[in-house]
Amino acid sequence: MSERVSWVPEGLDTGKPSAARLYDYLLGGGHNFAADRALAEKFLQAQPNARTIARLNRAFLRRAVLFMMDQGIRQFLDLGSGIPTVGNVHEIAQKADPEAHVVYVDFEEVAVAHSQLILEEDPRATIIQEDMTKPQAVLKAAEESGLIDFAQPVGVLTVGVFHFVPPEADPHAVLAAYRDAVPDGSYLAFSQFTQDLQPEEMAGIVEVMKKSQNPMFPRTKSEIAGLFDGFDVVEPGIVPLPLWRPEGQNVDDPDKAGIYAAVGRKV
Amino acid sequence: MHALTSTAYIPLSHAEIEQALLDSLVELPESPESVADRLVSLHATGPDSLRVTVEVLSPAFELPLLARLSSAYAHYMRMDAFDQQEQIKVAIVRAKQRVERTLKVSQARFKEVFESSALGIAITDFDGRCVEANDTLAEIVGLESGAELIGRQLIDYFHPEDKAALAASYRQVREGRVERFRDQRKLIREDEEPVWVYLAASLLPDADDEPTHHVTMVEDISELHLLQRNLDHQLLHDSMTGLSNRQHFVTQVERRLGNDPITLYHLGLDAFSVVNIGLGHETGDKLLKIVASRLRKLAEEKKAVVARLGGDEFALMTISDHVTTTVEEIQATLAEATFVDDHGIALSASIGVVDRPPAFATAAELMRCANAALRQAKARGKRQWALHDPHDDARRRGKYALAASMPGAWEHGELEIVYAPVHDLETREVLGAVARLHWDDLSHNDTMALADSTGLSLPIGKWLLREACAQAARWVDEFGDRAPTLHIALGALQSRDEDLVADVKRALDETGLPVERLRIALDISSVLAGDDNAVVLHDSGIVTALDGFHGGHDELAVLTDVPVRTVITRAPAPTPDSPLRQAMRDLITTVHSLGVRFGVDEVHTPADADQWRSVGADAVIGLLPALSAAEVTELLTTAASPPPAVS
Repeated sequence: MSERVSWVPEGLDTGKPSAARLYDYLLGGGHNFAADRALAEKFLQAQPNARTIARLNRAFLRRAVLFMMDQGIRQFLDLGSGIPTVGNVHEIAQKADPEAHVVYVDFEEVAVAHSQLILEEDPRATIIQEDMTKPQAVLKAAEESGLIDFAQPVGVLTVGVFHFVPPEADPHAVLAAYRDAVPDGSYLAFSQFTQDLQPEEMAGIVEVMKKSQNPMFPRTKSEIAGLFDGFDVVEPGIVPLPLWRPEGQNVDDPDKAGIYAAVGRKV
Repeated sequence: MHALTSTAYIPLSHAEIEQALLDSLVELPESPESVADRLVSLHATGPDSLRVTVEVLSPAFELPLLARLSSAYAHYMRMDAFDQQEQIKVAIVRAKQRVERTLKVSQARFKEVFESSALGIAITDFDGRCVEANDTLAEIVGLESGAELIGRQLIDYFHPEDKAALAASYRQVREGRVERFRDQRKLIREDEEPVWVYLAASLLPDADDEPTHHVTMVEDISELHLLQRNLDHQLLHDSMTGLSNRQHFVTQVERRLGNDPITLYHLGLDAFSVVNIGLGHETGDKLLKIVASRLRKLAEEKKAVVARLGGDEFALMTISDHVTTTVEEIQATLAEATFVDDHGIALSASIGVVDRPPAFATAAELMRCANAALRQAKARGKRQWALHDPHDDARRRGKYALAASMPGAWEHGELEIVYAPVHDLETREVLGAVARLHWDDLSHNDTMALADSTGLSLPIGKWLLREACAQAARWVDEFGDRAPTLHIALGALQSRDEDLVADVKRALDETGLPVERLRIALDISSVLAGDDNAVVLHDSGIVTALDGFHGGHDELAVLTDVPVRTVITRAPAPTPDSPLRQAMRDLITTVHSLGVRFGVDEVHTPADADQWRSVGADAVIGLLPALSAAEVTELLTTAASPPPAVS
C-alpha cells in the first residue's frame, strides 16, 4: 500500500515484515517469515491480546459476509484482503451459495501470488493487484474481471485494513468513491483499530508499526462513523468486534478487542 | 467447545464446530489419529489448542490414548506447517517471477523509450558524468552513439555562458527545491556548431527512493529555429529561385557599402518576354531558375552576393574587380546552352554597372543608378553593358520624372492633340492633317515613347483616335469637302492591339466621320510580327499606311502581301552629293512598283521637300508647324480657298 513513484517496480523483499503475514502469524498460519514473526513478537508485547483480536476480526469477517448473504448479496469486493488464510471470503460465501462471486484486492506481491495459487481453480473468485486507496483503478479492474456486476448490490469489505490508510490518503473520499460505484442496497463491512479501547496498548502498536512498511492509524468511533457517510449503519452500530451480532454466547472481553466493527447499508 | 474456539479461529458456525467435536468424541477411542487430523483441519491449531483439548479429555480418557492423539496432532501440525510453507514458497517464487517479469517488461519498456525516443536522454550521476545516454542525444551533440557519451560530462556540451546557470538549476533539483527544471538553451555540438534545445532535468531515485542521479531530457528544437529562420528566409528571399530578394540585397549592399569598394551589376535578361510569351510562363520560370543557379554558382566562385530583383532582372555585388572580366563571365555563364522542355534557348543579358561608388552614396541611390545604366545598355541592343554615367543619369532622371508625371498630366487634360499638315509633293496641296500628341515641350514621338514607358500608350492612343475622329467629323460637318482628311499614326502597342479594328469602327460610328476621311498609319513592326490589323482595316475600307519604314528586305516583302496605301519613313534628305541618293531613288521606285506610295515624316524645310520630290517621294509631313484644333478651324474659316499651299 505504500506509494512509490519510480521507474523500477517494487521489488520483493521477504526480509521486510509485512502486515499481511503478521496477521497470518497471529492467526496461527504458517505463511510467514522470520522477519514477520519478529515483528509479531513485538506486536504481542505491546498488545498481548493480539492473537485474540486477530481471531475476533477474522470471525467478524465471517459473520459480516454471512449477514450480507442473508441480505441477498452475492458478490463481494474484499479490499486489502491480504494473505489467504483460514476462512477466506470466497470459502465462506460459496459454502452458503456456490454461485457467489468474490474479487480480492491487494497490492502486496506475496499476498497476490498466494491468492492466485488458492484461486487458480475457482472461476468465481479472483485477485486484482491494485492499491485499494485508488478506487478508480480498483473499480476499473473489478469491472474488467467480469465477476462484479455494478448494477447489482455489492458487498464491500474493508476488514482490518483501514488502520493502514493514512489521513493524507483521504479515507473518507476513498470510501465515498466505492460507495458511489455501487447501487443502493449494497453493504459495507468495516473494522479497524481504535484508540478508544485500551489506548495504552494501541499507542504501543502504533509505535511498533511506525517503522514498518505498514504504519497504523487508529481512529475513534466518531471518526469511523464519519466514514459511513451515505450508509445506514445496521444494528448494533459501531461496536467492539465481539459485540457485532455474536453467534451464541459471547466469551470474549469486548474491552480488549482493540478493533471497532460495523456494517452499513447504502441508501 | 468454547475452550477450544477461544484458542484458535475456526471458520465455522458454532453448530458445525459442535457437530465436528461430537463426531470426534465418538471416533476418539478407535482412532485418535483421525481426531488429530480433524482438529488440525478445523484449524484448531492455536498455541493452546492442544492443551485445552487434553485438559477437557483427560478425566474421561486414558493417558495412552491422549498420548497417541498428541503425537498425531504434532505430526499433522508439522504437515500443515510444511504445506503452508510449501504454499508460501510457491507464492514467493511466483511473486518473484512476476516481479522479475514486470521488471523485465518495465526495463524493456524503458529501454524502448530510452532508445527510440525523439528526445535525447541522459542519466548523469551527481558529478555530472553520463551514466547512460541514448543515441538521440548523441545525434543532437554530433556523436555516433549514446555509448560515446558515457563517462563524459554532460555540462561540457552546454554553452559556456549557460554553464553556471544550468549548474545552479541542477543543484536546485538535487536539493529538492524544485521537482524539475525546463529551459531553452544552446548546446555546443562536437563540431562546435550550436544547437538549440529544450532541457528538462529531474531526479532519478533508486529502489530505496534515494535520489542518486539526474535524468536530463534534451529536445532538439533547432528545427523550430529552422522554421523561424525559414520564415525570415522567406521574407528575404525570392520564393521561385531561392536567391536573395531586392530587400535583402539592398541590406547587403548597405552593409558592404563604406567598408569595401564594391561593384554592382544589374542584369536584365534579353528577350525574356519572348520566352514567356512564346513558350509559356512555366518554361519562363524554369529558365529563371536555371539562370539563378548559374548566377549563384558564379557568385560563389567570385565571393559575390547575388539576388533576383524581380521579373527577369538579377543583381550581383562584388568586391570591386575588373568590370569587363566580370561582365564576360556573366555573359559566358548565361550563354551556356540552355535546354528547357526540349527548347534550346540562347541567353544573354543587358547589364548596368555601378563601379566603386562613393562611400556616401546610399544603397537605394546605387540601385537606381544601376537600373538606369541597365536601361541605357538595353537601349543599345542585346548583350550590351553600360557603366553608370552620372551626367547621362541626370538627363534620364528628368525624363523619367516627366514620365512619372504623365498620368497626372493626362488626367488633368494637359495632353493636347495638334494637327500637322500632310503635303502632296506633286501638287503641293495639303492632303490632310496628322493628329499628334503635344505635351509640354515634347514632340509627338517623345510623348509616345514616354507613354510607352508608363504603360499609358494604349489608353492615350485610344483617346487620341476618338478625339481626333470627333474633331475631323466636326470639320466635315462645317467645311464639307474642304475639311482635311484625318491621318493618325499609331504607336507600336496600339498597332498590334487586338481591339484596334473595333476601336476604329466604334470611333467612326460614334463620331459619324466618313470612312474615306480616315487614314490609319500602323507601326510597321506590327505587320512584320505577322499581325493582321492592317489586312482587317483594309478589308473594312480604311486606308492604311505603314509607319517606320526603313526599306529592309523583310519590309518590302511585307508590302507584297499586305494591302497598304503608303509607307512612311524618317531619314535625312537625299541631297545630290549623298551616295545614298541613288539607293533611295531605287527604293522608292521599288515601293512604287508594288503600288505603294512613299511618304516622309519630319521634313521641315521646302529645300528638303524638294530633295525628296526629286527622288520620287509622294508626300511629306512637317513642312508647317502643327496647329491646335481651334487654329485649324480658324484657318479653315478664314481661308476662302483650300488651306495654304506651300509656296
